Amino acid sequence: MENDFFLNAGIPPPLHLEQASSIPAWRSSFSTAMDIQAAAADRNCSLEQSPDCFYNPNWDNKSTDQNIHFESALSSMVSSPAASNSNISNESFVIRELIGKLGSIGNSGDLAPHSQSLLGIQNSYMGRNGNASANTSCYSTPLNSPPKLNLPVPDHHLKKEKLPNLGNSMALNSSLAEFSADPGFAERAAKFSCFGSRSFNGRTSQLGTNNNNSTEQPSFRFHPAAGNGGKLPRVSSSPSIKALGSQTSMQEKMRALLQDRSELPNSREESTISEQNPNRETNSMDLNSRKRKSASKGKAKDHHPPPISPSPTSTKGAEVNENSNTKRSKPSENNGNDQNGSVKAEEDAKGSTSSDEKQTKTGPKPPEPPKDYIHVRARRGQATDSHSLAERVRREKISERMKLLQDLVPGCNKVTGKALMLDEIINYVQSLQRQVEFLSMKLSSVNTRLDFNMETLMSKEIFQQNHGLPQHPIFPSDSSAQAIYGHQRQQNPVLSNGAVDPLDNTSPCQSLGMQLPPLSGFSSEGIPHFPAFGEDDLHTIVQMGFGQNPTRESELLGSNQVSHMKIEL
Amino acid sequence: MTNLDRKKAIKLSADIAMASTRNGTTFWSRAVIANATHSNGDNNRIFVERTLGGGDGGGGRLSEHCGRTKASRSLSSVMHKKILKKSRRVCSRTVLGRKHNLAKTHSIAKRLVRKKTQVLKSLVPGGESMDELSLVVETLDYIASLRAQVEVMRCLATTAELLNGT
Repeated sequence: MENDFFLNAGIPPPLHLEQASSIPAWRSSFSTAMDIQAAAADRNCSLEQSPDCFYNPNWDNKSTDQNIHFESALSSMVSSPAASNSNISNESFVIRELIGKLGSIGNSGDLAPHSQSLLGIQNSYMGRNGNASANTSCYSTPLNSPPKLNLPVPDHHLKKEKLPNLGNSMALNSSLAEFSADPGFAERAAKFSCFGSRSFNGRTSQLGTNNNNSTEQPSFRFHPAAGNGGKLPRVSSSPSIKALGSQTSMQEKMRALLQDRSELPNSREESTISEQNPNRETNSMDLNSRKRKSASKGKAKDHHPPPISPSPTSTKGAEVNENSNTKRSKPSENNGNDQNGSVKAEEDAKGSTSSDEKQTKTGPKPPEPPKDYIHVRARRGQATDSHSLAERVRREKISERMKLLQDLVPGCNKVTGKALMLDEIINYVQSLQRQVEFLSMKLSSVNTRLDFNMETLMSKEIFQQNHGLPQHPIFPSDSSAQAIYGHQRQQNPVLSNGAVDPLDNTSPCQSLGMQLPPLSGFSSEGIPHFPAFGEDDLHTIVQMGFGQNPTRESELLGSNQVSHMKIEL
Repeated sequence: MTNLDRKKAIKLSADIAMASTRNGTTFWSRAVIANATHSNGDNNRIFVERTLGGGDGGGGRLSEHCGRTKASRSLSSVMHKKILKKSRRVCSRTVLGRKHNLAKTHSIAKRLVRKKTQVLKSLVPGGESMDELSLVVETLDYIASLRAQVEVMRCLATTAELLNGT
């Protein structure tokens, strides 16, 4: 995709060719990628000291022109071979080959400058490509401009995704080719920082060997830092700028730093993903402690286990980073001013701020790998013995639960401080309890029929649950006990005649339903009793549905008491 | 039966129903059932037994519910209180020796929190014997189920009103 993008950029205005000598670089990069014109590539590289030097302006120039082109280029990825054929006559054949090999991914041009500095070590190549992708992502953020929109962001992810893929497929087709052409690029992009760190691990080990060569030092420096992707782009980009400005002065520091780093990841090469997170953080920690002592506290907060206190710490860390970044960006700007034109310095500042934005954006983004152990680290000045650690874990747990409570209790969000929160919780619990009281009062007073039905249901449940064997004799006695209460007496024979379960006796609707069929159907059982039944009983039955609730209630209570007595006996 | 008795019965049954949904997994539900059984004599106990039901007699389950809380409370609570008093005395002696100014505000806040925690403990059933973490957890659970209870009872009340109205 970027292939034709670059070609578009290069060809219509030929100014670019002379200006930044970018196109030769691209060409040569292509050639190095194909291992054809390696010598030319090296020459280009040595001429321009660092690929990054022309790398940045290229991006800036083009992106100003080609912001619109970029998206379209993304869509017209497949059409890139034709464009490349027509434009660059020299290597059209090779390019075609390359593109045929790569399939839909045509963005080789981006990687090429970095592949110039390829030293033949495949590991390093892999790592470099990953880093290169990180670079591009860093610098393309402001240029593609609106990060808030939906379209550009996926584009980024796409690019992030595809760049390393390209590198891998160029260098070693087999190893990481599974990552290519995956639709789930968002997750991958989120995990990208991890990849960056991994590639960074490979790179630093390579760096230790390469430090002596030192012709392409600046570019090297740029990569490992950028390899961290979301985590430390600011720190990474600032060395690159400094490499632009005053290479010789910074070289010693940087070398020491990088060697420091190379020690760390080497020891942890075989770490799993879950351990990679702290690994990365320790890397950054090292850098931070070297670069700025003031930020170490914020970083230390970052060290805390994400499951325990996820959101506030990360945001805090991001804030601290941002602050320090703004501090850092000034000297870098000065450096650029010293050496190069003011325009470049502005561009650099832009780039750095953009990387700041990127970092703050991606700071909370990478998903924490699932941890099955509680990872506690002491901050500075905190006790490290097991008791205080356990105490701290307990407190963290409590605060976490308190947060949950805060969410649960309405109006508790605004309150800060534990005492006030407890106050709110107490009030809420009290109000709930009072509500229950009130509702039970209401239920008891408003209507007796409903809870009456409820209680019959409940008793029925109990009846069924107990499987009735001891309880069965109780209920006939219940009905007989009901016979004591006034006008219920008439109902009993009917029920016994209908062979209704005595339980249904208590629920008026069912008893009505059971009583009516014999009345209407004049069945054999209903007929003899019908004259005795009479209109009065029907009236009472109808009344029971609406008016006679208190009597029903008392009747039920009587039955309950009887059953109690039975149980007690 | 008077209205108040009815109300009590309804509340008791609602509470027990709420507690029985937890199946004895939480402190507060066990405490609710235990309180219900032991507060008001045998009458309640039978009621609770009937409410809890259970295949082969609610009694076994009930005793299982209550056995833990009762035994633990009666014997060990006294001991705990003694130990707590002692340690508090020791703690207060050491705290007073420290920097006065900082300790003052700190202790005020702490005392406030402790007081509030005590109130909360008295509110949550069975909260007296809980430590801070379990108290917070149990409060979470208790609030959730109280809300459910309130909702159910409100639904019942509205339907009852509707039925009464028509």
